[in-house]
Amino acid sequence: MASPRWRDARKRATLSRQRMATPIDSAPEGFLSEKPPSGPRSTSQERGLAVHAWATALNAAALILIWAASGAGDFWPIWAILPTAFALAIHAWVRLLHRRPEIWQRPHVNFALAVEAGVWLSLLLFNIGIWAAAGGGSFWPVWPAIAFGLGIVIHASVIFFTDPTTQQMSERIDVLTSTRAGAVDAQEEKLRRIERDLHDGAQARLVALGMSLGMAEQKLDDAEPGKARELLSEARAGAEQALRELRDLARGIHPPVLADRGLEAAVRSLADLSPMQVSVAMDLGARPAAAVESAAYFVSAEGLANAAKHACAEHVQIRATRRGTILHLEIIDDGIGGADADGRGLRGLRSRVEALDGSFRVLSPAGGPTSLTVELPCG
Amino acid sequence: MRVVLAEDLTLLREGLVRLLRDNDFEVVAAVSDGDALVRAVVEHEPDIAVVDIRLPPDFRDEGLRAALAARERVPKTAILVVSQYVEHAYAAELLADRGGGVGYLLKDRIMHVGEFVDAVRRVAAGGTALDPEVVAQLFARRREDGPLERLTPREREVLALMAEGRSNAGIAEALVLSVGAVEKHVQSILGKLDLLQSAGDHRRVLAVLAYLQQ
Repeated sequence: MASPRWRDARKRATLSRQRMATPIDSAPEGFLSEKPPSGPRSTSQERGLAVHAWATALNAAALILIWAASGAGDFWPIWAILPTAFALAIHAWVRLLHRRPEIWQRPHVNFALAVEAGVWLSLLLFNIGIWAAAGGGSFWPVWPAIAFGLGIVIHASVIFFTDPTTQQMSERIDVLTSTRAGAVDAQEEKLRRIERDLHDGAQARLVALGMSLGMAEQKLDDAEPGKARELLSEARAGAEQALRELRDLARGIHPPVLADRGLEAAVRSLADLSPMQVSVAMDLGARPAAAVESAAYFVSAEGLANAAKHACAEHVQIRATRRGTILHLEIIDDGIGGADADGRGLRGLRSRVEALDGSFRVLSPAGGPTSLTVELPCG
Repeated sequence: MRVVLAEDLTLLREGLVRLLRDNDFEVVAAVSDGDALVRAVVEHEPDIAVVDIRLPPDFRDEGLRAALAARERVPKTAILVVSQYVEHAYAAELLADRGGGVGYLLKDRIMHVGEFVDAVRRVAAGGTALDPEVVAQLFARRREDGPLERLTPREREVLALMAEGRSNAGIAEALVLSVGAVEKHVQSILGKLDLLQSAGDHRRVLAVLAYLQQ
């Protein structure tokens, strides 16, 4: 079911949500820009900038020394210093944009436009430098500045008139349409399963129970109390079995302890009954909405079931925290991995989570470990 | 023996009233919500309150809360909570509240009328009645390599019945053993689990449950 279009919509959903929730870490997904690299590589990139700056400075110092040692005539090192400084300025500006996205994360601006503006300013300074070093005269740097500046104005107006908000809204509609369809499918499948379970289980047992009671009545009329007694205990056993099945069914729809005591108590109850060693750490504060609790509960239940059934895990960690308006849930086992993210169980959970505007990630390399990570908005 | 009953489903409430009256209990009040339960217990000071865990208005665990509130005011009233499902954490809450006079059973058990009536009497007399399902949940929590593994299958059966709150005579009857044989099993279990021999069935239940909940 994960058609490329679907996956695309999902990716967009994750991106736009990230932007809403944590603007610092993310990039725009506008049509004129691409996602700049970010994340764990930034420290090595920081180092790269430092090396670049030192190299530029040392180069300049060496040239000046040579110039001084060779009689300090016409200041020729400027012709090497200006272009290397120009390159360094652009490098530093791009780095700064990565580190402080708030500079460009505003209406009608994107990453590419911000880079262009920096390049424009550096080029202007570079040209002024050349103009001054060459002895002044007619102020020609104004012409390239106007030409390049015109390019930037055109770029900015394209961004302005194609209105990124409309763009974002249409992407959002795509996401909502596909996640709603997924949720409806999952719901439909679940209802069908419940109907089947009721039909084959409790209903059939009640019919059998009624028959046993009817026959017991007959036996009493025929004055065979021994036989009647036998049929009555059969009927009672049938009623008990029907009750057990109904209880299991109800637990699968919405476990009572979840409604009564909330997510942590319900997950601890699951953990207690699991044959594996399960550690539960939750820090949620006020209770999230019922739909969020329920989704988080079923993700935990499925994660535990998979860990025991397929991953042959011994230890499982379930962690849940609330970060701002996001409930962050993680289930990690030490099993053999290789979970199928498109299998029926995980697919249903994904639909459930996405219908709540959440994100759902499965990492399960062959050899393990498996981790399920879910983020659910719970404002 | 005087009983107050709290059950919101009319069908079940009337059925229970009939069943209890047939077995020589005096049902002094049959109510359908938690507030009415507290009022009835304060008014009648019954020997036992039989309470459905899920009552209006929220249909969560109001019955459990109301029963605990009622007993706070009338400590001599025993509490038997019945429910369509059991959760071992709730059992722990009930037992933590006070020594003795508590029970927690699945509604399924009512069908075994004789055993159910025995349980009501036992709880009213200050004993304990824990559903086998709760005990099974507690057993499931124990790791495979624990001391429970050192018990023989027969001893595990005896331990489960001890946890349900049965007396030695009750265990003997359930397992078709002599009381003497049961006593021997009990001694052996307490020895293997490092539990002290304690006076009274209820204290024994608490010791066993505390062990299982570790």
